[in-house]
Amino acid sequence: MKKIIHVVALGSALLVVPMAGCNSRLDIQPVNTAPADKALNTSADVQSLLRAGYAVVGSVDLYGGRLQYTADLLGDPAGPSGELFWQGTYSQPNEIYNKRITTTNTFVAGTWTQAYQAINIANTVLANLSKVSAVQQAQVEGGARFIRGAMYFELARFYGRDWNDGSPSTNLAVPILLTPTNVQDPSGVLGDAAKLPRNTVADVYAQAISDLTAAESKLKASAPSSPTSSDVATTYTASGMLSRVYLQQQRYDLAAVEADKVISSGIFRLTTPIADEFNSKINTNEDIFDVQITVQAGVNDLNTFYSTNGRGGDISVQQPLLDMFDPADDRLNLFNQDNGVLTTKFDQVYGNIHEMRLSEMYLTRAEGNFRANTTVGGLPVDDINIVRARVNLPPLAATDLTVPIILQERHLELAFEGFYLHDLKRNKLPVGTLPYNSPRLILPIPQREIDVNANLVQNAGY
Amino acid sequence: MKMKFFTRCKLVLLLSWLLAIPAWAQTQAISGRVSGSDGGGLPGATILEQGTTNGVSTNSDGAFTFSVKPNATLVISSVGYITQTIPVGSRATFNVTLTASATELAEAVVVGYGTQTKQDLTGSIATVGSKEINNVPVLTFEQAIQGKAAGVFIESGGGKLGQATKVRVRGTTSVSGDNQPLYVVDGIPVINDDLSGNGAPTNPLTDLNPNDIENISILKDASASAIYGSRASNGVILITTKRGKSGATHFELGYQTGVSDPTRNRKFLNATDYVALVRESANNTDDILGIPRTDPNGYTAYAESKLQSLSGGNDDYKTGLVNTDWQKELQQRRAATNQYSLSASGGDEKTRFYLAGNYIKQNGIIRNNNFERINTRINIDHKATTKLVLGLNLNLSRTLNNRIDNDNSFGTAYQAVALSPITPVIDPRTGLASGAFNPATGLPNTTFPLYYNPLLSLDNVRNATTVYRTLGNVYAAYDLAKGLTFRSELGIDLLFQTEDYKAGLLTARNTGFTVNGSGYNTTARNTRFTTNNYFTYRPTLGEKNSLEVVAGTAYEERRLDANSVSGQQFPSDAYRLINAAAVISGGSSSSSRSALLSYFGRANYAFDNKYLLTLSGRVDGSSRFSNRYGFFPAASVGWLLTEENFLKNQKILSTLKPRVSIGQTGNQQGFPDNAYTAQYSAGAYGGIATQRPASIANDNLKWETTTQTDAGIDFGFLDGRISGEVDVYQKKTKGLVLNTNLPGITGFTTYFQNVGDMENKGLEFLLTTRNALGAFTWTTSFNAATNINKVTNLGGQVINGGYINRAVEGQPIGVFYAQEFAGADPMNGDALYWKNRTITDGSTVTTVIDHSTGTTNDYNTAARVVLGNPNPRWTGGVTNTLGYKGIELNFTFQGVFGNSIYNGAGQYESVGFGNGLDNQTTDQLDRWQKPGDITNVPQARLFLGNGISNSSRFLSHGDYVRLKTTTLSYTFPTSLLGPAHISNARLFLTGVNLLTFTKYNGADPEVNADYIAGNIGQGNDFYSAPQLRTYTLGVILGF
Repeated sequence: MKKIIHVVALGSALLVVPMAGCNSRLDIQPVNTAPADKALNTSADVQSLLRAGYAVVGSVDLYGGRLQYTADLLGDPAGPSGELFWQGTYSQPNEIYNKRITTTNTFVAGTWTQAYQAINIANTVLANLSKVSAVQQAQVEGGARFIRGAMYFELARFYGRDWNDGSPSTNLAVPILLTPTNVQDPSGVLGDAAKLPRNTVADVYAQAISDLTAAESKLKASAPSSPTSSDVATTYTASGMLSRVYLQQQRYDLAAVEADKVISSGIFRLTTPIADEFNSKINTNEDIFDVQITVQAGVNDLNTFYSTNGRGGDISVQQPLLDMFDPADDRLNLFNQDNGVLTTKFDQVYGNIHEMRLSEMYLTRAEGNFRANTTVGGLPVDDINIVRARVNLPPLAATDLTVPIILQERHLELAFEGFYLHDLKRNKLPVGTLPYNSPRLILPIPQREIDVNANLVQNAGY
Repeated sequence: MKMKFFTRCKLVLLLSWLLAIPAWAQTQAISGRVSGSDGGGLPGATILEQGTTNGVSTNSDGAFTFSVKPNATLVISSVGYITQTIPVGSRATFNVTLTASATELAEAVVVGYGTQTKQDLTGSIATVGSKEINNVPVLTFEQAIQGKAAGVFIESGGGKLGQATKVRVRGTTSVSGDNQPLYVVDGIPVINDDLSGNGAPTNPLTDLNPNDIENISILKDASASAIYGSRASNGVILITTKRGKSGATHFELGYQTGVSDPTRNRKFLNATDYVALVRESANNTDDILGIPRTDPNGYTAYAESKLQSLSGGNDDYKTGLVNTDWQKELQQRRAATNQYSLSASGGDEKTRFYLAGNYIKQNGIIRNNNFERINTRINIDHKATTKLVLGLNLNLSRTLNNRIDNDNSFGTAYQAVALSPITPVIDPRTGLASGAFNPATGLPNTTFPLYYNPLLSLDNVRNATTVYRTLGNVYAAYDLAKGLTFRSELGIDLLFQTEDYKAGLLTARNTGFTVNGSGYNTTARNTRFTTNNYFTYRPTLGEKNSLEVVAGTAYEERRLDANSVSGQQFPSDAYRLINAAAVISGGSSSSSRSALLSYFGRANYAFDNKYLLTLSGRVDGSSRFSNRYGFFPAASVGWLLTEENFLKNQKILSTLKPRVSIGQTGNQQGFPDNAYTAQYSAGAYGGIATQRPASIANDNLKWETTTQTDAGIDFGFLDGRISGEVDVYQKKTKGLVLNTNLPGITGFTTYFQNVGDMENKGLEFLLTTRNALGAFTWTTSFNAATNINKVTNLGGQVINGGYINRAVEGQPIGVFYAQEFAGADPMNGDALYWKNRTITDGSTVTTVIDHSTGTTNDYNTAARVVLGNPNPRWTGGVTNTLGYKGIELNFTFQGVFGNSIYNGAGQYESVGFGNGLDNQTTDQLDRWQKPGDITNVPQARLFLGNGISNSSRFLSHGDYVRLKTTTLSYTFPTSLLGPAHISNARLFLTGVNLLTFTKYNGADPEVNADYIAGNIGQGNDFYSAPQLRTYTLGVILGF
């Protein structure tokens, strides 16, 4: 027995002592990422964070393509009478095109989670504004509020009923969260604070307007003198986004005023011929906001699905749309015959997405003025004719102008750029046989969200 | 600190002196070696001086040294052997050969940090010997042991070479972590991380040559595996390689050659049926939408123009002139396999060696998919002094795998089945492969054929993965005192991998039309070093007691560094590397590191050779968690009933050993290295740097803990002619390290935390019968196992994977969960789904199958229900070995039962053109055509998506029985060989997967779509390649 004790003593001595120093070897810090406490200390740190907000906003789930093609696929009657034809194999867009969206559609879930990721980044920037150098504070704050406002606006109109469909103050949109997630303390994401119910459409629009208005004013001081800074929000981007919000709410006078702010700045110019606008990989003089795509970062998902250079044309264009163009219309040069007729608007694989263009502002100002019976910045017919002149179309007479003609011009000018569904809804126009307020034209609340948050109510029809 | 250490070292030396000196003073020193009848050393045999407690145990080599009084008598015993008594006389050296008493039980079994005889085991360990592993024409040993170990489920995901193999020992314990067992080669845990860059995981174990393996022990219960602590929850597979035996140098030369073909194929429409069904589906769509079939803008007209285009712009499709079987085009028939090996082994009393070299080249069943391995092994043992043994185990290998894209790529070979059978392989307009060239543009065709033609990838993509692997360890074992050995091992595992990928210009439709050739080059250096230092103590406690104690420490550090660069715009296909790319489209580097510090121990105690007790445990400290240290203990007892007097005097029962074990193990594998820390990650937007929050801190994160209880019984009848084991177990895993879903509004989607429990329980059965002894021998070994997995708690979460797999409370992991398909509406041919029923109980919502609720054609209003289980309910195998005068036939049937397989490609290829013009499976010919038709196949409606959504429509039974391996061999009699100076010669014919019996309607039921395979996403088929059916002829010559 004594021997055993000796052996045990000897063993412990030989084994434990030399290993004692090893404990510290377990302190291994990651090198692929930065610890949160070292990431967000300086003004430059917060600006890098803000820039990530733009990257997320420009990701494929959002303005990198999905917000646009979802609006156009969902706004298309589908089938031979439709203007578009989905011929690809991805089932998620196929469901959207056929208005038979499943609640587990991963594209629908991706848009939701990415939009909120952008919002969280914006919230984090806003909570760390004090770290930003004084001269840049307003610009950084403006950028963050633009991102947040734009995202709430998009979430509200995709996941909630349209503003003019029933009562916005009782219709549900999406939850509003204005505080950042604390990465050092998980209690926030695990507790009930993260299980918010849906706010009303009115609440979310109000939040979007509040953010975008703040962005517009905060960014005024750093207003660009040339259009090339459209990679991030400027005061004009905020104005342009506000004009979209007001148009959706049918507040035509305000829509015209906001669009006019962009036009009357005088720094944006239409690109002629129009094909040059879309052949340009970089930000053009016409652009108010561009999603930045480089070979190394970012994906142009409009290219992926529309272009012969992407997946070869998962979405082709059908005759009913082509028939709407005047044969002289220069915009007919934006099509090619490949896998059926395809749009060439997005043929640049690594080209920026021209997300907000000056011609939209002319069309919005024209419609806003026309319907509000105002002439902010100019006569509606002149604005329409500016857009027409660029594409080689003869001017219209003021007496010929009607709402349908303005909407038609808008449809042809902005085709495939993500406007159609929203324009139909606000004008209570049907999508094929579906009325404008059909539940099938509203995205479902993603199943994954409902699974983790019982306070979320699913949309009707799902 | 250093000072103190040296002081302690002196103390240690002093102690050993004090222990040793008294023995030298009064006695006679003797030494020797105890071996079994095969000549191999018997570890742990006891040598006692008769009538005293003076004795010693043999070391791992069977050697012993100790001192006895003059004229003593030695009693040499080992469990399972007949005890011998030898008078010492004046002899100083004893080489004793013990005869086995009951063969099976005497077998030495490799366990964690040691070996034990089978009879002494109180844990559950499955063993597989070299005979089952060597010379099977497969690339990794796991494939060779499929169906041969009870409770060990092995599945290779498909027929592409060198790809990952799923191994589950007693079920799945983790949702977010790794579920593969820990692999330990010659005492050193080895790298098993997938480093593949193409989305389809590879198998690092292909770097080992199965022919070098002597035996495999699979540690299944906690008693056997807890000594591996926080990495043992999924079982531990101990691999021991071959070692030299002293004696004349023996050379062995082996050669094997053969061919492989696909096991089975899925059946697709031929050209005539394709055209007819496309037309029918287009007519139906026009009718439903109220479009006249004659409308030039209608679907009928569209289909006709599309058919002409797919036919290559001609009318051949109308006559069925071209009928392409794309499956045949992509396959490589009678693909050659060749293997050469040469080994030398031998040595003397002091030094023994095993040297081997091996080369194998296997061609896959897909064109241009091949795998090549060159491998050498050097194992050396050297006795430096009577007390010190040194050794080396070294594996050097190079593998080259020419790979195919993952299952989800248009470039993967099997996606060619989507192409139309009316499309010619060679476009008559160009004389080149269809899709290669469009005369109108001078560029690769963008619209013809239907999709990118994967055959272009087979000929124009090079995806070469090269791995250099050095896996080895050196050890020293020193006999410190009588019965006390100290062993130190230092192991190094270095894995260098490069991936060289280049897609040529003709792949434009798959890689991008403006890209002009693309490529990437990756390098990865995965390294791991391990030190094990431990004592083995076998005190002599008299004839009734035996004890072995193992105690030690280990430290292990792994580090993975990887770089990649990718480029586009090549001048031509003559250039292969990124240095020729005009645009560098991406580059990255990454590094990760983790460390594990451990203390482990085990005590085995046997009283009177009847009552067995094992206690073991390990303390692990892991850098992967914030809550670092954990203790993993285990205890087990066994009772050798047949050693009791009341069972001694009978001949029927030869062994009866009930045993029980309980213990805890952990899992720390498969999680990110720093999942518990709050991190930011970097990116770019328009060429300017960005950073964003990437993870949320968790100060309490720790390993998953599994408590396993096992009760088993080992039995033998009729002197071992019938023997076997039965085990029943339960594994309860708590505190899953779960990548839990967060509400998306937080800006995050997932968070690692210890939430959730999982349970596995099962039954294992092993039976070996020696049916005939004598000139004709026949042995049958049967094993069967059932494992029932259940996720018992996920904090209310549902985690999705695969297509319709999910982890949800109350169900097995990965259950198929979707709408239940109800066939075609006899009235109108609509796809119908059972509505089924949703039950809301407070906040929990569950669904049940209830057909009384009727059917609906609105997919969204049908409730999602549990449709099937990807985990097999039963697995097993039967191996028969028959021998007569040198001829031996060995064949193994393997069976998998009770699982389902989901065809993710069903929504494209089995939907009556509802999702496009992809060629359809032949079952679509049973489609609904007119009111009153009763069928499971809805009406074919071009593009209308009738029944395309995920549902039980694409789920089938996955049960199969397969003749896994068959070997017919002839061993030449020595009398014939003598004159040729050949000591042994064996000629053998081997077959793998020769027969498969299944109701699966796809290709091969052993399938797991590579790009989507995971813990939850399993049991899926997605254009996956079938397994290989291989025949080889081999010869082994020894001299």
